[in-house]
Amino acid sequence: MTATYDALVVGAGVAGIRSALDLAGTGQKVALIDHSPHLGGLLVQLDKQFPTDNCGMCKMLPLTERESSSQFCMRKGLFHSNIDILLSTRLESLEGDPGQFHAVLRKHASFVDPTRCIGCGKCAEVCPVEVKSEFNAGLEARGAAHLPVPQAIPNHYVVDLDNCVRCWRCYDACPTKAIDFKFAERESFNILVADPDPQTTADLAEWLKKQKFPIEGPVDGNSVLERAAEGKDVRLLILDMSLSDVSPERVLSRCLELNARLPVILTGTPEQAEAARLLEQGALAFVEKPLDRAKFVPWLDKLYMRIVSDEIIEIDAAAVVLAGGFSCYDPSEVADVLGYGRSPGVVTSLELERLVSSTGPKGRGLLRPDGRPARRIAWLQCVGSRDLKKKADFCSSICCMISIKEANMVRRLTAEQEGGPAETTIFSMDLRVFGKPFQSYLDEAKASGTRFIRSRIHSIIPDPADPGAVRVEYLDDAGVLQVESFDLFVLGVGARPPAGMNELARAAGIETNEWGFCKTMPFEPARTSRLGVFAAGSFSGPRDISESLVMADAAALGASRLVNIYAPLRERRPQPEPEFRDVTRERPRVFVAVCSSCPMVESRLDTDALTRRLRAMSGVTGVALVDRACTSQGWDRIIDKAREVDPNRVVIGACMPYAYVPRLHELGKALNLNPALMDVCDVATLTALGGDDGEGTDSEVFSRLRMSVAKLLGADPRPTAQARPASPVALVAGGGLAGLTAALAVADHGYEVHLVEEREELGGLAMNIRRTLDGEDPVKHVELLIDQAGKHPNIRIHTDSRVALHLGRAGRFFSVVNTPDGPVPVEHGAAVLATGGVESKLYEWGFRVHKNVMTQQELEQRLADGTVDTAGLNAVAMIQCWRSRDEERNYCSRVCCQQAVKNVLELKRRRPELPVFVFYRDIMTYGFMEHFYTEARRTGAQFIRFSPDNPPAMEHRDGKTIVSAFDPVLGRNVEVHADLLALASGIEPADHSEIAEMFGVEMDEHGFLKEAEYKWRPVASTKYGVFVCGLAKGPANMEESIAQAQAAAQRAVRMLHEKHLASGAVVAEVRHSLCSLCGKCIEVCPYEARRLSPTMDKIQVDELLCQGCGSCAAVCPNSATILRGYSDRQVLSVIDAALEETV
Amino acid sequence: MATTSRIEVRQNGPLAAIREFLAKVLADEEIASVMAVSNVRGAMMPTVVTDPEKLSAVDPFAPAFHLNAARQVARLTRGEMEGHMAAVLRPCEIRAFTELVKLNQGSPHNIVLIGVDCYGAYASRDYHAMTRANGSKSPDERTLEFMGKAPSGGLEDPAATPPVAQACRVCEHPSPEGADIILGLFGADASKEMWAIAKTPTGEGLLNRLGLPDADSLEARDRAVEEMAARRLAALEIMNAQTAEKISTPEKMADYLADCVNCYNCRVACPVCYCKECVFVTDVFEHEPWQYQGWARKKGALRVPVDTMFYHLTRLAHSSTACVGCGQCSNACPNDIPVMEMFRLVGGRTQAAFGYEAGRDPDEPQPLSVFLEKELAEVTGGVD
Repeated sequence: MTATYDALVVGAGVAGIRSALDLAGTGQKVALIDHSPHLGGLLVQLDKQFPTDNCGMCKMLPLTERESSSQFCMRKGLFHSNIDILLSTRLESLEGDPGQFHAVLRKHASFVDPTRCIGCGKCAEVCPVEVKSEFNAGLEARGAAHLPVPQAIPNHYVVDLDNCVRCWRCYDACPTKAIDFKFAERESFNILVADPDPQTTADLAEWLKKQKFPIEGPVDGNSVLERAAEGKDVRLLILDMSLSDVSPERVLSRCLELNARLPVILTGTPEQAEAARLLEQGALAFVEKPLDRAKFVPWLDKLYMRIVSDEIIEIDAAAVVLAGGFSCYDPSEVADVLGYGRSPGVVTSLELERLVSSTGPKGRGLLRPDGRPARRIAWLQCVGSRDLKKKADFCSSICCMISIKEANMVRRLTAEQEGGPAETTIFSMDLRVFGKPFQSYLDEAKASGTRFIRSRIHSIIPDPADPGAVRVEYLDDAGVLQVESFDLFVLGVGARPPAGMNELARAAGIETNEWGFCKTMPFEPARTSRLGVFAAGSFSGPRDISESLVMADAAALGASRLVNIYAPLRERRPQPEPEFRDVTRERPRVFVAVCSSCPMVESRLDTDALTRRLRAMSGVTGVALVDRACTSQGWDRIIDKAREVDPNRVVIGACMPYAYVPRLHELGKALNLNPALMDVCDVATLTALGGDDGEGTDSEVFSRLRMSVAKLLGADPRPTAQARPASPVALVAGGGLAGLTAALAVADHGYEVHLVEEREELGGLAMNIRRTLDGEDPVKHVELLIDQAGKHPNIRIHTDSRVALHLGRAGRFFSVVNTPDGPVPVEHGAAVLATGGVESKLYEWGFRVHKNVMTQQELEQRLADGTVDTAGLNAVAMIQCWRSRDEERNYCSRVCCQQAVKNVLELKRRRPELPVFVFYRDIMTYGFMEHFYTEARRTGAQFIRFSPDNPPAMEHRDGKTIVSAFDPVLGRNVEVHADLLALASGIEPADHSEIAEMFGVEMDEHGFLKEAEYKWRPVASTKYGVFVCGLAKGPANMEESIAQAQAAAQRAVRMLHEKHLASGAVVAEVRHSLCSLCGKCIEVCPYEARRLSPTMDKIQVDELLCQGCGSCAAVCPNSATILRGYSDRQVLSVIDAALEETV
Repeated sequence: MATTSRIEVRQNGPLAAIREFLAKVLADEEIASVMAVSNVRGAMMPTVVTDPEKLSAVDPFAPAFHLNAARQVARLTRGEMEGHMAAVLRPCEIRAFTELVKLNQGSPHNIVLIGVDCYGAYASRDYHAMTRANGSKSPDERTLEFMGKAPSGGLEDPAATPPVAQACRVCEHPSPEGADIILGLFGADASKEMWAIAKTPTGEGLLNRLGLPDADSLEARDRAVEEMAARRLAALEIMNAQTAEKISTPEKMADYLADCVNCYNCRVACPVCYCKECVFVTDVFEHEPWQYQGWARKKGALRVPVDTMFYHLTRLAHSSTACVGCGQCSNACPNDIPVMEMFRLVGGRTQAAFGYEAGRDPDEPQPLSVFLEKELAEVTGGVD
């Protein structure tokens, strides 16, 4: 069967989830697959992330559909009516073209039926296997039957067949018969043996007797072909390479022609080399003869179980997003990297995350290998990054921040210990804190006591004086050899392409770059080498969460643009909103349906008594026991019985309430009843946990159902209809690279865009750049964008114009644009602010006084136009961080180091012998740009580090600039007599005060427009419906600006797409007659959804922003603010219902 | 250093002197009205005075405290106002007003707080009994008599007939620290002089404009305040220990509250109970018949009205961090339940838990309006 989707998203880590949510949010059907048995990727293992030191994944919850799905902690689960999630599933092949891809997926069986598994863990208890737990980074053992992550919802055990020893103990232990190894089906699994040697067949028949596989043979090649042609039932073919009447190759190809999925196992001697070719042609495996019974039988039996249990799923999709993430460098790949594997005190940064986690390995914690508390902990950066020997000529971009975060975590965790927090030390070459809030994060870490040492340690040995510790030697800043011992030594491991990257790249038909990550196109950071296939997150290079999400949005935008060509989003008719009858004036009539066939319910529950007691409850008009409510037949039976009763409230007692939300919508349609008046209550788990004798289970279940009834009796039956259409127009402020990119992206979705630029020309800062570090021509790209925007039927360009007025709220904004031809009123649903930044201008260090002092950008331009002649130069000096990362502008400008490296390479290309000196603090060539830095050093340019408290001094004499500074490598002062001095000018925000005030968005402490949340909502401003991107939001290079612009466009399209901007049913409201206006609720609202009205007499709730968290209702002393669906009265009666049986 | 002026008391006595002082205040160009307790038809009630003539009925030292005026002051300052109002208040009224300002119920901008050194007041019931028994005395005479007896501390002896209210006997804040101007009585010979002490720039501005003579040293007052506070803290400790014993278990607490008829007078009288309407009279507590039946079934006998303990616990939860200990709750109780004692004990402990003190500082945020990642480690176990 082939299912049709708009998009296929491969990889369900944060980036994949984000892309899927983006697409689903604009009404597209998405298949989200992941090879592992859980969602969340690497993040399930990390409890806290920089720079906020918390998790915060729930900040994405507003992207899920509250009404048609369930909202949970996003590290636990994801539910969306437009997203089908397939776990343990890999992409096998991707055929077809953009708009009509055909994907084949293989879903690996877990051998545990999720509808029967109750998570009791008995299978794991009896499993004799011990393998390294992936979740706990190998620090703990797990069985073959195991729980992949502890926190998932739903959370079922799985059997890892590869490590299974086939003892079947889990099968026997499972109380609900959820484990299925397909014992019975073996008898109909016909194995055909095509081997001239009759002994093989005889052996196999003897060996596999216990399994009862029907074995047939020996047959010759011709009879195999005959049987295949007749369509005789053969489930597995064992084909020997010595087959003589027909060549094995012909047998194989013919069989596969007739049944492409026929598993064929080749047997033969190792010399039969053609077997390799046959494997390529589709044979499943090659087994050497003579067959080894002890190995072959378990192998074949497992193969059988895979074949009959794995599922092949074929889907059609218009676009594909690859979000395969990355994997952490494994230092055990090469023998004895820095004592890892030899000294137990040496761990990777991932292992440390697990050690300090509350779900970490049992009995470990932050201890030395000998069990004493770890009090001295050190991190070493760049393990497996920036290392040519390890084929990693790139920077992993995230490890510096991860180590700083881990040091923070450790210090907090040990703060209460005797002697205060543990000593934390970070050894590094550069500290790459290039993200906007990173520098201050580093400063805080320094201030809180973490030591930062510039040194690359080459060896770690056990401490001879203290065997539980490790000893390192390093040269300090003064060049003195230091010896120090640490209790734990953490390797800050770098990023690598994800495991299985080659297979995925082959299946998806995409190219990889020289480091094995996904290759992307210039100025199209989310586009892969294959049209219609996009790269999200860190699949195309290591990135932090914030940037991964930007890339996920950008990839989703690419996919959505493509989908839009084939099925324009604007023309799609939304699901007609079901109209439910108004039951406000009816007496409550509750119908209770209880699923009676859950394995435990059957045996442990007195269903007759339960029915009797439920019937006796006031308000209950009907009770029904339903067989297998989770099946569609069961569901139909519920609908039928409900129709008989004609209820206006429905309670369903079953399992897994979160899975029923879409079902309730169906039921709502069938009964013409609002699903808000229905509730699903988990009775299955209760019965399962209720002890072996079922003692107390009856009252537990009754009391739970009673609570649900009480909840519905108290529910507010007023219909919830608050739909408002969004204006299908976007306003983009700023006509630079980011603004143009965003405008085109939105306009391509069929929405009208007003692009407002203050200057007379479009193009912005990018027009000053001659070429990028990769050698691309930005001006050409921007000119192309300008041309496209000019010709786009949906874009109206207003140059020499300003937004003069902005009112309203998300979905319904009203702005006035002052143009040279007079004011233009614009009604729009969303706004994108791309108002840019400026190159810092400062007049010191001889700049603008001496002709030989210029900015890096000027140098680039003057090299390009020939006004700087390299032939006349004797030496060039460059000074980095000229005005960045100081007290005044405490952030890294990101682009300056790239520009310096670019200029060094250009100077050296023209005159390889020209001495070039770069004075720097940290070279921020993160990601693959590192490779250009390596190249620049290879050209012989000298990079000399200075510390901010001892910056280079300079003197101007005879048209030359003499720069003197301390060189930490030489350990003495150096003096450079330079003909030309280039200063790294930082990026400063443009003056945003006016635009910020008009649009009601906030600025950060540097004057950039502030993100709603740096990590999880990187392109949302602090005002709903207004998005920010490009330099207006912070320093970024061109690729990053483009990705942000596309991300902002994606968010804007999502908002414009809403034909009905409906708020959730669970929103807060204010009963004004009770409200004292004390304002406590405004302070506690985490979504800034509340404010005091301008007339100061009312608390107003923005029902689109309100996420129904209930903080306001909790803080309000007299229930003047209430949460619909959770009134105090209702909750109190639910508590009564709960306590009546038990207390 | 703040300005300290002397209010001379001539032969007409301290009340005349204070009326004269307030007349000067009212005459100030920035002051539009004076709020103070007056004798209105024989009862001592807060009044807003704009006519200097009417100041003759004002008596801020009267030993009657029928209501805590903080709620009235909040109402009068909420929103725009012409000119400033000078309000003469007891220390606990000022502290309650400070709490209300934090809750946006009143505004400190158009008001000059004149706090009186407070010897306390009789419980309303005792005061009324006294006036009835002693009808021949004029209100002024009663006040002067009180001012004569109070400084010795004798009226704080429970055996006195009558003593000042229990809340006043354990009040460790007799000096109105949050005021703009303090009307100083403590340590002064009220037949000769009182002091006006400016504590804020607003107060200083006004006091300077009044042109009063400078005062000498305030040492005597400081000593008197210290002495009083120590005495009352000791009494508070004893009272808290007794109350703690009386409400140490839910059972005992139910006994403590047994006479409560859910009239909610204590909540009406409470100056920091600021809700427009109490949640206990809203639909939240309109239970269903099946709930009553269920409770009755479980207990065998159900006391109605229900939710009595729930009500008091809720009020403790909502208001104990803002409790200033004025004692109006006990004053208002028709059945003599010692509500104040319970609030002083619980309020003292909840405020201590947050390092907070109600009414201490207008800039100190109320505990429940701030979120700290790590607090109350002894309750949460210090785990994140």
